[in-house]
This record gives sequence, structure tokens and C-alpha cells, in this order.
Amino acid sequence: MIISNRNRPLLAALGGVPLLFAAIALLQARMDAETRSAAQENEELLLRSGAAIEKMSLGYDSLLADIYWTRAVQYYGERVGTPGANFGLLWPLLDITTTLDPKLIVAYRFGAIFLSEPGTAGAGRTDLAIDLVKRGIAANPDEWHLGLDLGFLYYWRLKDYPDAAAAYLAASRNPQAPVWIKLMAARIAEKGDSLETSQMIWSELYESTKDPNIRKTAAEQLRGLQAQEDEIRLDEIAEQYRKRFGRYPASPSEMRDAGMLPGVPEDPAGYPYVFGPDGKSHLNPQSTVVIEPPPKTTSGPQQ
Amino acid sequence: MSGAPGVVAVNTFREAVRDRVLYNLVFFALVMIGAAILVGQISIGIERLVIVNLGLSAISIFGLVMAVFIGVGLVSKEMEKRTLYSLLAKPIRRWEFLAGKYAGLLLTLAVNTSFMTLGLAAALFYVGRPFVRSDGSIVIAVYFILLELALVTALALFFSCFSSPMLSTLFTLGIYVTGIFAGDIRGFGDLTRNPAVKAATKLIYYVVPNFHDFNAIAAAAHGERIPFSLVWQNTLYAALYVTLVLLAASAVFSRRNLK
Repeated sequence: MIISNRNRPLLAALGGVPLLFAAIALLQARMDAETRSAAQENEELLLRSGAAIEKMSLGYDSLLADIYWTRAVQYYGERVGTPGANFGLLWPLLDITTTLDPKLIVAYRFGAIFLSEPGTAGAGRTDLAIDLVKRGIAANPDEWHLGLDLGFLYYWRLKDYPDAAAAYLAASRNPQAPVWIKLMAARIAEKGDSLETSQMIWSELYESTKDPNIRKTAAEQLRGLQAQEDEIRLDEIAEQYRKRFGRYPASPSEMRDAGMLPGVPEDPAGYPYVFGPDGKSHLNPQSTVVIEPPPKTTSGPQQ
Repeated sequence: MSGAPGVVAVNTFREAVRDRVLYNLVFFALVMIGAAILVGQISIGIERLVIVNLGLSAISIFGLVMAVFIGVGLVSKEMEKRTLYSLLAKPIRRWEFLAGKYAGLLLTLAVNTSFMTLGLAAALFYVGRPFVRSDGSIVIAVYFILLELALVTALALFFSCFSSPMLSTLFTLGIYVTGIFAGDIRGFGDLTRNPAVKAATKLIYYVVPNFHDFNAIAAAAHGERIPFSLVWQNTLYAALYVTLVLLAASAVFSRRNLK
């Protein structure tokens, strides 16, 4: 086959361009592999001032806010669940996002969760989370959901029941806020450390979010709280068993056989509870349910 | 617009279409499709916000690029190609030529912006969001962008009447950026104790077009209501400023030696 001079450049391009692109991609991948570790160590934000970035945005500040928020989500997502992960840039990213767009409610709400989650689930900085939500409330006084988030942070993370009650009460003053928020404020003020209150708060969080990760966390917390409630009831029945038979039951099936339980109770993951020699019920070691330490009051029920 | 300026306007629009200026719509469509598909995957809770922010910002940026780079060439291109001389030999006055050129580019920008707005609406529809009453803010934000583009086009045309395309571009972009920071410049003057600086910054504030007032992108993205007073005030402001700049451009162009 004779290839005319005119077609040669075309054929060379058809063959050469994909080859050269493939070579470039391979080279880039190699360079990335060599520089990735260094880049992770040296990660930084060139600009940390939200106000300066806002000026430089030339009016496109709300679009930049979306970009920074997406960056914050990615930053959190890359680190969550990694032991020893450093969340050092999370706060600056959220600070810039909310400075660029003070009405970006989602950044306050999810950002507070990212910041406050302990362990590998977040930055463990409830103080910054509270600052963020307070800033959101100041910029969006009509957004009562932020008041709920503030109350949640005080209640669950800090066990600060007076401030939690005050935050819920402040949120309840919004005409659009549902009535139950006021009831929650009263309940926390009256008895901050009850399981019922915790269940109410986690249920509200579960219902109010569409984010699958937060729903999963809330569902796990609710399962843990349900298990705690079960254990309290089982312990009471075990005490009645001891009074009747002079010893604690070795297993729930003994209580069932004694007619004190309709069946063998199972935790929310489907595993039967077990009893210790002290007559206290516990989760089955194989159970996937996790019970967080119950909220503890330092000064008894709050007035 | 009828008569000579109308003919020039229609021909300017045709020329823009012939130069494939509207091809930017394809790029805009790709950006919107990409955003609509990707945003939900990589972020949380801001699908609608990103679509509106990105759509309106793209409409504004694409429009600005067109207004500046086509605007500065409206006169110089005709001179370069020597078509201006045969045009002015016909019964058409110089100001009519300028008015026609301005209207033609504005028509191009309006058509371009309209198609982009339709693309934005399609992207919002794609992400499964029903149209609500507060979407009127998006339409108003697009209208404000058009007003902004009308002003930028007038400035580009003005500078192109006496300067090279390169310098005209720099001047137009310079005025645009200064106009965005007009409020800050005035605020800076208020901070000083020097009455001369204070007076100068105040003068700059009133002389340069205040582009910041035309930015309703964030408000539209959050579905906020834009007051009607801002609509008519911005309309009047743009009309007055455009008239002023076109009058100045006509004055300069009518005295320009074209030999």
C-alpha cells in the first residue's frame, strides 16, 4: 500500500498523539508516586484569610465558597477513620468557606460535626465546632437548625447541660421552630443525663440529615442507647430474680424459664445479652453494638 | 433600532455568529453537565447551590470575556480591514456606526446569555430540583449580569475609539476591577485623616462604575428575594452610565483623524 506524502502527517499524528499522551500519563504517575508522600507532609493552605480570598474573588465569592466547602469535605473524607490522622486544615477550610459565603448553612452544620467528632471520626475540636455554629447563628438568625446543633454540641460533647438547654431554648424562640425543641430544652434543664433525652436528640439528628455517614453514626448511637435501656431493665429483673432464687441469673434464658421474661432478649444487632457474676447484663462480646459511656452529670439534675 | 445603526447592529451580530463566537455555549454546556453529574458525588448538600453559583458565574465570566475582547476590536478591526472607510463613505454618521456596533455586540451577548440561562435551567432540572417561585432571583441575577455586560461593552468600545486593542483591553479590565473594589476604595479613604485622599477616593467611588451592585449571584443561589428597588436602580444606573460612555465615545470618534 502506497501512502501519499499528503497523508503521512495525518497518520503520524493518529499514531503518535495517543502514544505521546500515554507516555505523558505514565511519567506523571511516576512523578506523583515520588512526590505524594512529601506533598502530604507539606500540605498547606497558601491563603488562610477568608477576607483576603473574598477580595481576590472579584465577586465570585459564593462560587469559591462552594469550592472550598467541597475541598473541606474531601479533606475530611480522606482522613476520617485513619488512626493518627491530622485534621489541621479542617478549621481554616471551614473558616474560609463561611467567610466567603456566610449563608452556606450546610458548611456550619456538617463542619461542626467534622470538627467535633472524637477519635478517628473527626478533629475532636468541640471548641472550634461551637465557634463555627455560633458564627452561623450570628449570620443566619432565622436558621433554627443551627441552634439545635449548638445544643447538641453542648449536650453530647461537653455534657454542659445548662448551656445545652439555653441553646435549645434560644432555637425554640424562632417562630418556625417546632414545639418539641422547647420541650427538649425543658427536659435537659430538668434532667440532662437521661437516656430518653439522648435518644430524642440522636433521633432528631437522624431524621434531620440526608448524609449517609451522619445517619449511620446516629443510628449506631441510637442502637447503643437502646442497648443501655435494655440493660437497665434486665438488671432490674435480675435483681428481682435474686430476691426470688437467692442468686443472680447466669443467663437471660434462666429468667425466661422462670417466667420473668417472654423470651431471650437480644440487642439491636440480634445478639443475646449476657450476665456477669455480679448480676449485671452486658452486650454479647460478638455484638456489633457500641455503647458510649453515658453522659454524667457533675452537679446532679440541672434546674 | 432602525435605519443605519440597525443595519450595522445586525451585521455585527452576524459577524459574531460567523466568527463562531457562540461556540462558547458548547463549553458552557459541558461545564454544566459535568457539574450536575459530579457535584453530588464529591460534596455534601450543595448540589443546587453549585449549579446556580457555577452557572451564573460562568454566564458572567464568558460574557465578560466576550464583551471585552470583542468590544475592543469593534472599531479597530474595521480600521484594520479598511472596511470602515467604505462604510463611512455611505450616508452613515460616525455616532450611528458606534451605536450600531454597540447594539450588535449587546444583541450577541443577550442571545449568548439567554442560551446559557436555558442551559442552567436544564442542569437544575437534571438534578431533580423542581422550579420554585424564588427562582425569579436567578432570572434577576442574569438580568444584572446583562446590565454589567452592557456597561463593560460600552467601556471597551469607548477605549477602542482612541487606543490599540491591547491597551483598550487593559483599560477596560482595569476599570472593571476598580469598579468591583469601588466600595473598598471609598472605605480606605474613610480610614485616613488626609482630606485630599478622602476626597480622591470618594471621587473614584462615584466616577468608576460600581460593578459590585450588579452581583446578585449569592442571593440567587440561596433563593433570596431581590428587592425591586435594586432592579430599577441598577437598570437606571446602567442606562445612565452607558449613555454617558457612548456619548464620550461618539465625541472622541467623531474627532478622530481616520486618514
